[in-house]
Amino acid sequence: MPGMEEFHTGSEGSFNSDEADNIVKECIDNVVGGDDYSQSQVNKWTASIVERCLTQLVKMGKPYKYIVTCAVMQKTGAGLHTANSCYWDTAMDGSCTVRWENRTMYCVVSVFAVAIA
Amino acid sequence: MDSYQIDEDPMLTTFVVDEVRKIINEAVESVIGGNVYQHSRVKQWNSSVTEQCLSQLSKLGKPFKYIVNCIIMQKTGAGLQTACACFWDNSTDGNCAVKWENESMYCIVTVFGMAI
Repeated sequence: MPGMEEFHTGSEGSFNSDEADNIVKECIDNVVGGDDYSQSQVNKWTASIVERCLTQLVKMGKPYKYIVTCAVMQKTGAGLHTANSCYWDTAMDGSCTVRWENRTMYCVVSVFAVAIA
Repeated sequence: MDSYQIDEDPMLTTFVVDEVRKIINEAVESVIGGNVYQHSRVKQWNSSVTEQCLSQLSKLGKPFKYIVNCIIMQKTGAGLQTACACFWDNSTDGNCAVKWENESMYCIVTVFGMAI
């Protein structure tokens, strides 16, 4: 997809974005892995993806609040651009965005982790 | 001896959806209102909308951390579905999503606010 932004914290001892990246990729593969875009199912898919990611992230047991967002778009040649901006503690908080696609759809999942004081 | 209790004004410590919706609507209207989808300009529009929202939100002066997410999509008949899940404090934290459209594009802005 043209013009996508990428956010990674890259600092140890704060939010581990690589770990989150793996969790998200696994959740997406499990939910929509081999499927084609289907309007009747997409609602269920996005809900499953965010719930699964959130559950796995919380299981890590770290002192964070989490927000997981997921967008699934049918591939028809339309342009899509997303952006995030965050007002937080850059030392402790972080985000990770995963872009996934197959033949018929794009899936973009973002995880935001905000440290609890 | 009398005792006085000054309670926290909930407007100052909780996420107020209407206030935030107003900020989002104003930001989107001022940046892309009246424009036609243009691939060359969309990146700049996206940045402007999110930055404007964030600066207006921080001006509210509340003890909150904010995340602003903006999606701009060209209208060509493609299907788009978005979802979000949050693990936070339900009494103080919140979100507000605004879906805006004109003839050539959709713009979906979501603001998440978390109390510090």
